[in-house]
Amino acid sequence: MPIIVNLDVMMAKRKISAGELAERIDITPANLSILKNNKAKAVRFSTLEAICRELDCQPGDILEFSKDEQ
Amino acid sequence: MNIKWTHERSLLLSRVLTWAMFLLACAVLFLIPMITEWYDAVSGKPPVRTVLTVCLYISDIFAILAIWELNILLRNISKQELFTEKNTRCVRIISWCCFGVAAVCAALTFWRLLALMIAIVAAFVGLILRVVKNMLAAATEMREENDYTI
Repeated sequence: MPIIVNLDVMMAKRKISAGELAERIDITPANLSILKNNKAKAVRFSTLEAICRELDCQPGDILEFSKDEQ
Repeated sequence: MNIKWTHERSLLLSRVLTWAMFLLACAVLFLIPMITEWYDAVSGKPPVRTVLTVCLYISDIFAILAIWELNILLRNISKQELFTEKNTRCVRIISWCCFGVAAVCAALTFWRLLALMIAIVAAFVGLILRVVKNMLAAATEMREENDYTI
């Protein structure tokens, strides 16, 4: 997948654990793990909005496009 | 007596019928020499016992394999595992079994023209199953995409 999710980098910057973020954005830790490990096939705008709100960042800070991954 | 027909009962009936068919196909495997002998006796045409025996053995093995895969498919359905790669594989194998029987029957047509009808029916069923397999593969992909949408 050419889209890379840099959620773990942003989480480390904000010093927030996976469990806490999952609780704050109201998704299961298992789903957050899928997202963090680049296994997700799509992200809902509502999820992206909640992540950006809680981590105080922009979607571009979390998502990255890489040509090499194609 | 009013028996309520449920999804579970329907599934159970399918599984019982599949097992019955499996046992019948296994029994036929041992009865093929007798069946071919009887056929030559009643057909009133030149004997084709050897060819018929070979064709029936190959077809019966395809049938046993197809019924076995059908049983796996029904077991997965009862476990609520519908749109999976395992099920797609099962339908694909059953489809190829039908094409296998069609090929065997097509070869038998050189000796008995009636076998052409069975070959056409088997090929048609195989084709339908192939389309079902393609549909199942697309549904599996959609389910995976849905499951991995966060």
